[in-house]
Amino acid sequence: MARRATAATVMEWTARIVLAGVFLYAGGVKALDPAGFATAIDHYRILPYPAAAACADYLPWLELICGLGVFWRRIRPGAVAVLFGLDLVFSAAIASAWVRGLDISCGCFGADEAGRFPLVLSLARSVSLALLCAWLLWREKRRQPWPHEIPGR
Amino acid sequence: MTLGSAMNAQADYFSRVIRQAGGLVLLALVPAVFTAGFHPRRPAWSQDEIRVPEVTWSAAQRWRGWVLPVDARSSAAFASQHLPGALPLNEAQWEEQLPAVINAWRPGARVLVYCASQGCETSQSVARRLQREMGIGDVFVLKGGWSAWLDAQPQRR
Repeated sequence: MARRATAATVMEWTARIVLAGVFLYAGGVKALDPAGFATAIDHYRILPYPAAAACADYLPWLELICGLGVFWRRIRPGAVAVLFGLDLVFSAAIASAWVRGLDISCGCFGADEAGRFPLVLSLARSVSLALLCAWLLWREKRRQPWPHEIPGR
Repeated sequence: MTLGSAMNAQADYFSRVIRQAGGLVLLALVPAVFTAGFHPRRPAWSQDEIRVPEVTWSAAQRWRGWVLPVDARSSAAFASQHLPGALPLNEAQWEEQLPAVINAWRPGARVLVYCASQGCETSQSVARRLQREMGIGDVFVLKGGWSAWLDAQPQRR
């Protein structure tokens, strides 16, 4: 039983490190070049250009802050929830670009390879990260009641 | 733990998550405002400021002087077929492919960037980056890209 709990904890920490690593890297790359990221968002043809520019200024910082938040216990569930929401939005955007036959790059990590096949790989990565977030949220929720509700703590 | 207290704990958990998420969403606004105002690579607010002019193939054919076609599609697509005299340059392999473009370019030459079709936007990105990083003024995007060029070719019998 104790070994199972240890294995689950190791898996949980591995998942957190992977999730945070991906978002810290992606956020860092895009925070260095918001103009390039605005162009990448614009290529999806979902938002008007000024909205794409505003997202390019904002989203990298949200990714960075939530990527760091994954390691801070006090705000971890909120950080993972935001990353889950971001992954769902990114997945929907990539899927819509793929369905519309757009020959664009994902824009997830700055300059990616353009084309239909790389777009499918990006979609698979985004959906996998969303599933990872969902699993982490479920693990967090299982820890109920919260520490302050446990008698004697 | 009774059912009531368990439900309270669940509700408390969800409201905590929403509060934390809301706080993080608001916190990210602070650096975003600084990025919008002061970042050296902040995006322009109007697309007109950054859009590279497009030119049709028939108009490009009437150009006089040296024209350098640049293929912004993937390397595999370039290897399969490309415009005569074109050089590959896509953002994924920018560093490796740029030197050949610099060597081929000469002052006064026009650069004509194309991607797969009207639906692609990579030619705009590559053209903008050439303007920005190389300081080349005469950069144009081929309207309709590779498919427009193919359509303009005489049918093979």
